[in-house]
Amino acid sequence: MSENIIETSGLTRNYGDICALKPLELKVPEGEWLSVMGHSGSGKSTFMNLVGGLDRPSAGSLKVGGEDLLALTEDGLARFRRKFVGIIFQQHHMVPYLTAVENVMLAQYFHSVPDEAEARSALERVGLGHRLKNRPGELSGGEQQRVCIARAIINSPKLLLGDEPTGNLDHKSTVMIMELLKELRAEERFTVIMVTHNQEVAAWGDRTIYLDDGVLVREERMGEKQ
Amino acid sequence: MLLRILKNSFLKRPKSVFLVFLSIAMGASVATAFLGIAGEISHKMALELRSYGANILLEPSAVEGGGFLREEDLPKIKTVFWKYNITGFAPYLYGVADFAAGGRKERGVVSGTWFTKQLEVPGEDISIQGIKGIAPWWDVSGNWPDGPDEAIIGAALAKRLGVNTGSDVETSVRGRNQRFRVVGVVTTGGFEEEQLFAPLVTVQTLLLKPGKVSRVQVSALTVPMDDFGKKDPAKMTKDEYEKWYCTAYVTSVAKNVEEVMAGSRAKPIWQIASAEGSLLKKLNSVMLLLTVLALVASATAVSTSLMASMAERSPEIALMKAIGADRFQISAIFVGETLIISVAGGIIGYLLGDQLAQIISRTVFNSAIVSPLWLFPTAIISALVVAIAGSVTPLRRALLIEPVTVLKG
Ligand SMILES: Nc1ncnc2c1ncn2[C@@H]1O[C@H](COP(=O)(O)OP(=O)(O)OP(=O)(O)O)[C@@H](O)[C@H]1O
Ligand SMILES: [Mg+2]
Repeated sequence: MSENIIETSGLTRNYGDICALKPLELKVPEGEWLSVMGHSGSGKSTFMNLVGGLDRPSAGSLKVGGEDLLALTEDGLARFRRKFVGIIFQQHHMVPYLTAVENVMLAQYFHSVPDEAEARSALERVGLGHRLKNRPGELSGGEQQRVCIARAIINSPKLLLGDEPTGNLDHKSTVMIMELLKELRAEERFTVIMVTHNQEVAAWGDRTIYLDDGVLVREERMGEKQ
Repeated sequence: MLLRILKNSFLKRPKSVFLVFLSIAMGASVATAFLGIAGEISHKMALELRSYGANILLEPSAVEGGGFLREEDLPKIKTVFWKYNITGFAPYLYGVADFAAGGRKERGVVSGTWFTKQLEVPGEDISIQGIKGIAPWWDVSGNWPDGPDEAIIGAALAKRLGVNTGSDVETSVRGRNQRFRVVGVVTTGGFEEEQLFAPLVTVQTLLLKPGKVSRVQVSALTVPMDDFGKKDPAKMTKDEYEKWYCTAYVTSVAKNVEEVMAGSRAKPIWQIASAEGSLLKKLNSVMLLLTVLALVASATAVSTSLMASMAERSPEIALMKAIGADRFQISAIFVGETLIISVAGGIIGYLLGDQLAQIISRTVFNSAIVSPLWLFPTAIISALVVAIAGSVTPLRRALLIEPVTVLKG
């Protein structure tokens, strides 16, 4: 695990006059669980979107998994996302007219070919084997988030991004989700980057970085977790 | 999977799907109806216009007054290449005569002609030829002549002679006399009102011109003149001439008739021919314009409702992009949707449009029409064209959606 999955240098993102991310130097070794903290508007989502290939930097260099994201076209970034990244959002976004299993299959479809059996077993892994045919409207917030996790890991990504995935959940569901992620990481060995406001959630990671006004102000390495 | 996405998307959003479907079906049905009756309308209009007079005049080719055509050639007009386009004809033999009735005397023209002559030509269907067929606007009060010494008299001449239906008119030409019984008075609004019309045979005898005819009026269905039709046939190559001959220009039909009437020269009556031609051309372009307008209108409606549903679905599109859909995959979903809706809309539009065409044809022309085979593909294609034209902007908008901006949270 010596290889760096993410390397940034002078990574900057401006929105007009607003500098959402000041030049950032960061290396994330493969397999690490990195927590990102900071107050609202500090640039956490901005950083996350850049790393996930959802957004383009204004300046600097950004390498993810050896791929230079600045050199990719729009479709190139789409291919990068589906091959390499799994994303979980705070609002558990699902396609409203598709069932749980179809929402998972959608990611398979964009990646290569849908495989219903595989999608089903992914949902079983996140404990939703009994809600395969339900649409988002019929699922609780925690259940929807678990569908999103199943969808995020279905294509075996190297990098799992979570932008406050537990932000809308109560304590019990949060712990359940975090445990699930930890279990999955142990099996799949992906790298995790997790944005959170919650110190407790951040503590599940190996390392926490703190952003303030787009600047990396502090980082903390965790001791062994229980 | 694509089908599964499309199926669910249809089932879960029936209202917006129906809106797009409706717009497409409307456009396709109007296009179908208009195109379906356009051909029929041209044909019917041409027939109706034909009732406003002959459009070809056959005269003796000898310029000096002495020339005549032969009555025995007339049946051949029903055997020419363009015989099915010839809706009728009537021969005339003119002579100056002195008319006398009830003590009054007037000089005028006696005209021998066919009124409703049953013409039998070997190998052809029996047909009725004569003035009644080619001049339906003639307003005859009384009856059409039946016997050899019955006549109809022009309204102006009747007034000068003071005669009416039932009167006898003594007609003399260079000392030969013939008494005609007036069975009808005709009002035409033209020079015919100064003439006496009597059966051709009787007038031939009176004028001592047996079997002779001065001129023949022919009424034919023709196509509008175009640049090619206006070319001089004498200067055409063999192929050009063949094409010209096989197109129902008024000139080529005239030429056709001229060939079977010995010693004749056929002249198109241009005023009528070109007025009809341009009227039909205008009619066709109006129909085409209306069709195009209808299609543009429904494409606009499609575009508007797709725009609305794109706005509603932008989170979904953003999500698809975020989990790795490229532009092609996004397009496939939305184009696929539109294609399915438009094929359905095309089929329904075709069925509706066909009915509409029937109704229009029945109310306007009082006849049923047979819709041509090409109408169905045309309906489907116009539905597709509407759908594609209507989805360009919404799709472009969809492809511009940035996942980051929409999924913010
Ligand atoms: N599309 C945008 N246009 C203009 N400014 C933006 C845009 N997106 C983000 N910003 C600005 O960039 C800064 C960083 O935003 P970012 O979303 O990264 O914050 P955050 O740390 O994720 O905050 P939160 O915890 O509230 O989600 C903010 O000041 C925000 O106003
Ligand atoms: Mg954020």
